[in-house]
Amino acid sequence: MLNKIIVAVQKSDFDLDSELEALKLKTEKAGAVVIFVGKVRDLEDDNLRYLEIESFEDLAKNQIKEICDDAANKWDLELILVKHRFGRLKINDNIVLVITCSKHRKNAYEASEFIMDYLKSNVPFWKKEVADKTQKWVENS
Amino acid sequence: MGKVKLKYFSRIRETIGKTSELVEIKSTNIQDLIEELQAMGEQYSVLKGRDFAVYSAVDQSIVTDVKTSIEGAREIAFFPPMTGG
Repeated sequence: MLNKIIVAVQKSDFDLDSELEALKLKTEKAGAVVIFVGKVRDLEDDNLRYLEIESFEDLAKNQIKEICDDAANKWDLELILVKHRFGRLKINDNIVLVITCSKHRKNAYEASEFIMDYLKSNVPFWKKEVADKTQKWVENS
Repeated sequence: MGKVKLKYFSRIRETIGKTSELVEIKSTNIQDLIEELQAMGEQYSVLKGRDFAVYSAVDQSIVTDVKTSIEGAREIAFFPPMTGG
């Protein structure tokens, strides 16, 4: 059972370089590190002022831990790190970081996609887009 | 049944107009609780889920069946479909 699972639900930003440096010390048997960063994007037909992300923090953390456990059971992984932000974010600000480490790349790629698919609709976060002309809660497409 | 902390998120929070409240309830499942709350004010009809699906979590555990027992629960949360990532 994988015990290197790091989960955080936080207001502050994350720093990719320091995250990567820190995890090297914990993943000496891993040859593959897959990184996914989700960031705030501008809208197609309006100018985004900011994105407000609301969270049910404790439950969100538990739900993320659960999916990491599932991923650890499905794939041979050395480490999983998930950090998800909430609060008011601007265009290009980071929203979510998923890092999966495995001996070879296939497991890390597949686990990363699996975790992100789950995060989209099973973890209690809600996004509100506040733009020049409109403001609306994002719905899953 | 006693006092329960109710929490509301996102569109539901905006419609009801508060993030949480401590309420004395009689209901023993989610479905009955929604009826009971609706009798307290029209704003609670958002919990019926006519415009979008309404999810609930009992003591930090997401429930999918509205008949799920809430007996002994200390906290019940209501929220719309989640949009993380």
